[in-house]
Amino acid sequence: MLTLTQGFLRFKPTLPGAMPIRFAQHARFLVVAKYHTVECFSSENDIRKFIVENTEVVQGNHLTPEIKMRLFTPKCRFWRARPELWPFSDPYWAIYWPGGQALTRFLFDNPGTSRGKKVLDLGSGCGASAMAASLRGASHVLANDIDPVATTAIKMNCELNNLKPLPVSVENLIGTKAEDWDLILLGDMFYDTELSDGLHSWLKQCVSTHRTQVLIGDPGRANFENHKIQKWLRELAHYELPLCVTEENYGLTSSKVWEFLP
Amino acid sequence: MSARVLVGVKRVIDYAVKIRVKPDKTGVVTDGVKHSMNPFCEIAIEEAVRLKEKKLIKEVIAVSCGPQQSQETIRTALAMGADRGIHVDVSGKDYENLGPLQVSKILAALAKKEDVRLIILGKQAIDDDCNQTGQMTAALLDWPQGTFASQVDFQEDSLKVEREIDGGLETIKIKMPAVVTADLRLNEPRYATLPNIMKAKKKKIDTVKPSDLGVDLSSQLEVLSVEEPSQRQAGVKVETVEDLIKKLRDSGRI
Ligand SMILES: C[S@@+](CC[C@H](N)C(=O)[O-])C[C@H]1O[C@@H](n2cnc3c(N)ncnc32)[C@H](O)[C@@H]1O
Repeated sequence: MLTLTQGFLRFKPTLPGAMPIRFAQHARFLVVAKYHTVECFSSENDIRKFIVENTEVVQGNHLTPEIKMRLFTPKCRFWRARPELWPFSDPYWAIYWPGGQALTRFLFDNPGTSRGKKVLDLGSGCGASAMAASLRGASHVLANDIDPVATTAIKMNCELNNLKPLPVSVENLIGTKAEDWDLILLGDMFYDTELSDGLHSWLKQCVSTHRTQVLIGDPGRANFENHKIQKWLRELAHYELPLCVTEENYGLTSSKVWEFLP
Repeated sequence: MSARVLVGVKRVIDYAVKIRVKPDKTGVVTDGVKHSMNPFCEIAIEEAVRLKEKKLIKEVIAVSCGPQQSQETIRTALAMGADRGIHVDVSGKDYENLGPLQVSKILAALAKKEDVRLIILGKQAIDDDCNQTGQMTAALLDWPQGTFASQVDFQEDSLKVEREIDGGLETIKIKMPAVVTADLRLNEPRYATLPNIMKAKKKKIDTVKPSDLGVDLSSQLEVLSVEEPSQRQAGVKVETVEDLIKKLRDSGRI
């Protein structure tokens, strides 16, 4: 007779110390009843308060020490929480993405790129690239993100850096009639196939109607590297990510800036 | 640096759950029971991500064979740093019959399709304790294998694998492409933090069927019965050393 139950029971005593410890981290208790749904946030002030309470001001822990931002860090209580406990849609604005970091570094290092230009930062998130463009003399910068919480975070990050809050918009511009942007910035926007497809055809239109310059920052995501857009890219810069960034972005160690030339 | 690594991640009943056998002895109760990634597979993923972070490989593909819920296990692997996932959809009767041989046929087919240089698997799964998939996969591909690895070092086109064997360690050098299976001490897997879980949500998981890969899932193995291990007998308490010696004498132990 074949007996299969042994395996289930025998494994437990041989577990190393590491397992129970990691398990204990799962069990860490969080009181979030107060922020149960988005509807609880009646005003922008509530959102601001939530952002202040759940992020940390970070400067220097990324590729662009020139700017400060309120970001998610290991000190924040949600860092090790179960994702269901987070009350908003995913806080992409609380992360300074490696693709955005490279793009922002590039803007700081190459002031001519944005000086005097009309700039769109699409999927602005924390607003870093938009702020860099503005600090390097862009004549107009729009920080665009479909997440309304991101637009509040962008305003707060501008204030942190003593910048006049940049105009923000939550409209989904992908697929709309191309406006006359001189420069479109895309920090880490090629993480999703559908989004990449939409962006690809829309950007082609922007370039052909207004000769817009399109810059993309990406840390080598599988989705980007396997996308057809690869055929029309020119590498402009390559940055190694600081250790602290690598530690927060499992598996990623460098990030590049590309120009889209359809 | 341009190499791809395939890592198998199995969805099993969580190691902390008390296992219950079905009354009809056909298997164990899985409905409504917490599942998670087989701990040895976590070690395999961790090793692959570390190789990527050392820039020794380019891409980590996590693959899981099983029903829809296997995608959750793949998501965990993606949150730990794997680049993309492949869900091999196996459900119903096929899933009940899915064993090391069927899984290794799938892995071997995927390894060719994805042109991988290295396959890393856990040395065994904590549910069936088979410890066969890595060996069978290597055999099907006719690749060298480094099983029970407690350390893996890249040396150009070879791997130096330190293996945990009875009575000590064995170090072998194998040529790539190769199969490595992870032992407990290979590394300590990282914790998937909330930002990494979020970032992983958009990573791509492709779903394929075994038939797409030309794999036949039929099995020659029939499980006759699944039973609980016999209950441990309760002990007795003795008051004094004399009592203990008397007890041992009476039971014929001394
Ligand atoms: C991966 S984050 C990148 C944020 C920032 N650029 C950076 O690099 O740190 C992607 C951002 O794009 C936003 N987003 C997604 N789809 C969008 C769309 N169609 N239009 C504008 N923003 C979008 C998300 O809300 C999120 O804030």
